[in-house]
Amino acid sequence: MTRPPLWMKIRIRNEEHKFGLWLPLFLLLPLAFVILIILSPLIILGLIIFWDSGWSEWALKVLWAAIVSFWTMRGLEVDVRTGEQNVYISVV
Amino acid sequence: MGESQKKILEMLAQGKINVEDAHRLLSAVGAEEGGSTGNKNTVKNDIGALANKVMEGRKYLRVTVTPGEGGTEGKGNLFQDGNVGRVNVKVPLSLIRAGIKLTSLIPADALDKANSALHEKGINFDVRNIKQEDIESLIEALGDMEVDIDGGKGEKVKVYVE
Repeated sequence: MTRPPLWMKIRIRNEEHKFGLWLPLFLLLPLAFVILIILSPLIILGLIIFWDSGWSEWALKVLWAAIVSFWTMRGLEVDVRTGEQNVYISVV
Repeated sequence: MGESQKKILEMLAQGKINVEDAHRLLSAVGAEEGGSTGNKNTVKNDIGALANKVMEGRKYLRVTVTPGEGGTEGKGNLFQDGNVGRVNVKVPLSLIRAGIKLTSLIPADALDKANSALHEKGINFDVRNIKQEDIESLIEALGDMEVDIDGGKGEKVKVYVE
C-alpha cells in the first residue's frame, strides 16, 4: 500500500523575490478528519436531502476522487526555470 | 548469440537492468544452454523476477524540456518572448491513473463540448467511450512510449516513463 505524501516543497524565485515553503501535508489529514467529524451531521443531512437528485452520489464520488488523487501525489515533481526565474514544486 | 542474450543486452543498454542483473541472467542462460532441468527452472524464475522488477520500477512519467544554447537567456516570462525554459516534470503513474478516472465525474454536457471541440479539430473521438479497461491498457502502454523531439534551435523535448 502506498503511503500518503508527507511534505510539499514549494520554491519560487525571480530577479526580485525569493520564496520557499515546506508545507506539512501530514497535518492536513488529521485536520480534514476532525472537520469531517464535526460537520458529519450536516453532511449526512445534505446527502439524504439531495439523494434523489443524484447530486449526493456525485459529491461522494468527487470526495473519493480527491482523496485518491491526494494519496497518489507522492513523487510529483515540477521544476521550471529560465534565466533567473524558477518554480519548483515537489511532493515527498 | 541467442535471442535471450540479445534481449538481456538490450535491457542493459536501455538502462532497465543493471550490470549485475545482466551478468546473473547471462550466466543463467549460459547454464541453460549447458542443459540441466534445474538450471532451466532457475532461468525461468530469474526472467520472471526480472520482468516484475522492470514493471515495478516504472513509476513515473517524466517530461523534460532542455533549451538550446542561450535558450534560458533573455527577458520576459517563461516560454514567452522567445524564451525556452528548462522544464523537468515527474508525475507518478498512480496519479495519472487517478486523474484519468476523474473523467467519469465530468458532467455529460461538458463531455459533449469536449467532443465537439475535438471534432472541430478533426479528431473523431468520443471521450464518453473511455472504459476502465481502456485506462489500464493506456497506462500499461505508457511504459513503452518514448517521445524525443529535437527543435531547430537546439531545444529538446523528452517524454518517457521511468
